[in-house]
Amino acid sequence: MHPVRRLLPLLLTLAAAVLAATLLQMLNEGSGAQPLILDSTPGELAQWVAAQSEEDAPRSLLGQLARSQALNEGLEGLPEERLVAWAGTLLLLFAVLHVAAVLGALSGLILQRKWHRGALVVALLLTMGWLFLLPQGEKNEALALVLPCGLALLLSLILLQQTATKTLGFVLIISMLLLGVQTAKLFAASRNYRITTALPPWHYSTLPNLDAALSALAAGELDAVLADRRDLRDILAPVPADPDVDPAATAWPDLRYHTRLDSDESLLGIFPVTPRFPGRLALATPADSGLSTLQDLHSRRLGAVAGDFAVDRYLAQDRHLVLLDMKILNDINLPHLQQITEALLQPARRNGPLLLSRILVEAAGHTWGEAILGFAFGASLGFVLGTVFAHFRALERGLLPYVVASQTVPILAIAPMVVIWLGAGPLSVAAISSYLTFFPVTINTLRGLRSPHPNAFELMNSWAASRWQIMWKLRFRAALPYLFTALKISATASVVGAIIGELPSSIRSGLGRAILDFSSDYSAVSTPKLWGAILVAASVGMLSFLIVSLVEWLVLRNSGGRT
Amino acid sequence: MAVNVIEARQINKVFNPAREEQVIALQDIDLSVSAGEFVSLIGPSGCGKSTLLRLIADLIEPSTGELQVNEKSPRQARIDRDYGMVFQAATLLEWRSVRKNIELPLEIHGFAKQERRERAQAALELVELGSFGDHWPWQLSGGMQQRVAIARALVFQPSLLLMDEPFGALDEFTRERMNMELLRIWRETDTTILFVTHSIAEAIFLSSRVVVMSPRPGRITSVVDIDLPRPRTFETRAHPRYHELVAEVREVLRDAHVLE
Repeated sequence: MHPVRRLLPLLLTLAAAVLAATLLQMLNEGSGAQPLILDSTPGELAQWVAAQSEEDAPRSLLGQLARSQALNEGLEGLPEERLVAWAGTLLLLFAVLHVAAVLGALSGLILQRKWHRGALVVALLLTMGWLFLLPQGEKNEALALVLPCGLALLLSLILLQQTATKTLGFVLIISMLLLGVQTAKLFAASRNYRITTALPPWHYSTLPNLDAALSALAAGELDAVLADRRDLRDILAPVPADPDVDPAATAWPDLRYHTRLDSDESLLGIFPVTPRFPGRLALATPADSGLSTLQDLHSRRLGAVAGDFAVDRYLAQDRHLVLLDMKILNDINLPHLQQITEALLQPARRNGPLLLSRILVEAAGHTWGEAILGFAFGASLGFVLGTVFAHFRALERGLLPYVVASQTVPILAIAPMVVIWLGAGPLSVAAISSYLTFFPVTINTLRGLRSPHPNAFELMNSWAASRWQIMWKLRFRAALPYLFTALKISATASVVGAIIGELPSSIRSGLGRAILDFSSDYSAVSTPKLWGAILVAASVGMLSFLIVSLVEWLVLRNSGGRT
Repeated sequence: MAVNVIEARQINKVFNPAREEQVIALQDIDLSVSAGEFVSLIGPSGCGKSTLLRLIADLIEPSTGELQVNEKSPRQARIDRDYGMVFQAATLLEWRSVRKNIELPLEIHGFAKQERRERAQAALELVELGSFGDHWPWQLSGGMQQRVAIARALVFQPSLLLMDEPFGALDEFTRERMNMELLRIWRETDTTILFVTHSIAEAIFLSSRVVVMSPRPGRITSVVDIDLPRPRTFETRAHPRYHELVAEVREVLRDAHVLE
C-alpha cells in the first residue's frame, strides 16, 4: 500500500482521538448544572423525571419508578440536581467509552492488527451517538467537536479501502447521511440561507403628478412610467388589449399600461428577482414600445410620481438576484437529530404524564393490529382471486380489469366511503388497509400459478394427477416465491393503508391521528414530534417486512436455495 | 412379439375444427408398434410428430380414428401408468431434490414412503446417478438432468416410453453418449420406445424402424426398417449400411418436401 494511504488514516484517527478527548475534558470540567448537560437529551429527560416524581400517581413507568424511589427515601420528590448529575455521569461514561474506542482504533492502526477495522466502525458509531445526545444549536462548541471527529473517522475508514461487507456498507452510508445532514445544517445556519447578486440600480426621475409623468412619456422624454395600477386603469388602455376598451376613447390614446408585468419576476423562470413587483403597481409605456418584462427596464429612463408607492417602496429598494435560497435546512423543516431524539424522550405536551415515545409505541401497536387484520384479509382475498383467475380464464378476462381499475382510484377517496358503509371503527381501517394489500397478491398469485412450464402440466396429466394435486404439488409450490414477493409489498402497504384509514374513521389511538396532530402546526416544537412519528411508522412497516421475510426464509429454506 | 403396444388406425386430428383457421395436424395415420420395438418419428417441424405422441399419451384426443395402447383406450393406459414420458426440457421441479423429483409420480399415486425410496433409488441406479439423489436439479449438467427425467419416466416400470426430442437441447458429445445410454436402458428394461427426433443420424442409430412424416397435413410418408446389427456401438456409425440408410431416409424426406 502507498505510504500516504497508510499514514493518512493514522493521522485522521489521531485527530479524532484529540477531538474526542477534548469533548471528554469539556464534560468533565464543568459542574453538573452546566447548560451542555442540562440541555442534552438525558439532561432534559432527568428534569422531566424529577417533575414526575412529585406527582401522586405518575402514569409513565419512569415516573412510577422515580416516585417509589422518592417515597422510599421519604422525600416529596427526587431532587432535580441529583437526577441531572446522573445524566451528567451518563454522558461522561459515554465520552470515556468514545475516547477508548477511538484510541483502540488508533492503536489497532499503529500495530497493524486485523481488528482495527472493527474498532474504527465502533468508534464511528459512538460518534454518531453523540449527534443524538448533545444539545445542538448555533455556537455550540460540543457539536463543533463531534462533527469533525466523525468526518475524520469516516474518511479514514473510506481511505483504508477494504472489502465492503454488508455491515460496513450500512455503517458508512448511515454515517455519511447523519454527518451530511448535520454539516449541511451548520453551513445553512451560518450563511443566513441565501446567496444573492446585486442587479443594476433603478434609473428613474420623479415628477410632481401622474399627468406630468404621462405627458413626459407621450413626449418621448421617458421610456416608461411606474404608477399605481388603479390610477392608470381609468385613463389608459391595457396590454394585452381588452375588447371593451377602445384606446382612442381614453385620455392618452398612444399610451398603454401592462397588466401582466407582475407575473414575470424570475430570471430563467427559476431564480427569483427581488424585490418582487407588487401587484399594486403597473407599467405605462407608449403603445409601440415593445417593453414588456422587468428585465427590459434595466437602464431605461423610468418615471414615477413623487411620494407615490412606486418611488417610496419599489424603486427605493436595491435589486437583487437570489441565486440560492436554502429553505429546506432550517429547524422547522429538518430538525437536528438531537431535537428528534429529545422529542421522543419528552412528553408530547409540556409536563405531560407520558413520554412521546410511549405514546407513539402504543399508537403503533394499535395501528399495527389494524394493519395485520387488513393484511390477513387482503392477502387471503388476493390469493383466492388469483387462484380463481388462474383456473377460469373467462373470469380473469371479465374481472381483472376491475381489479386493476380499483387501484387507480385514490385510496383517500375510497376511505370515507368504507367508513360510511362499515361504520367508524377498526373494521373499516382493516378494510381500507386490505384495499391496498390484495392487489399485489392477486397479480403475483395469478402469475405464480401460471409459471410452471407447459411440459410440467403435461407430465402431471400423464401421471393422471387430480386437479387438486396439480394445484398443490405443482402450481402452488411454483407460485410460492411470487407470493412471498407480493406479501412483502403488502406487509408494508398494509401499515400505510391502516394509517390512511384511521383519518376518516377518526380513530384517536392510532398513528394516523398522531401524525395529523403533529402536522397541524408547522412549528419548531411540533416538527421534531412529526419526525418521531414518521420514524415510528416506518419502523412498524419495516418490522412487518422483516416478519414476512423471516417466514419466507423458514418456508423456502429446504428447497435448494434457488427459489 | 404378438402384442401391439400401439395400434393406430385412420387417426385424424384437427385443431380449431369449427373455425376458418382450422389446422389439420394429422391425416389418416396408421401405425402399429409391437412390444420391444424402438420406433423413431422423424420429419420437419409441423409434421405432427409431437401431436401423435400426445395423442398416444392421452394428453389430447383424436378427432376421428381408432387408437389403442396396450390393447386399451389411451385413457385407460394413462390411468394404468402404462407409459412414461420424457420431453426436450428435463422439466424437473427446482424446489425438489433429484430423489424427490423421481418420487413425485409415485407420490401422486399414493405409494408408501418406503417403496417410493426404493423405486426412486432403483431408477436412479438404472441411469447411473445412484449417488446424486440428494442433489438439487440446478447442480446437475443438462445431460444429467435429462437422465433424471428418464429415470422419472421409468419409475413405474412402464411397458412404453414416449420421448419427445429428449436430446434436442444437448451438445453433440453428450447427445451421442446419451444415445448409447438409452440403448443400454432399452436393453435392460425391455420397454418399447417411441422416439421423436429431428436428427436423421440419431433416428437411424437408435431405431429398429424409422417413421418418416411430412407436414401440412401431417401424415406418414414412409416407414424405413433399420436392419443394422445389434448391439449398436460407436462402430455402427462407420458401417456402410448405416450410410446407405441415412441416404435413403434423406431421400424420402426430400421427396416429401418436393411434393409440397
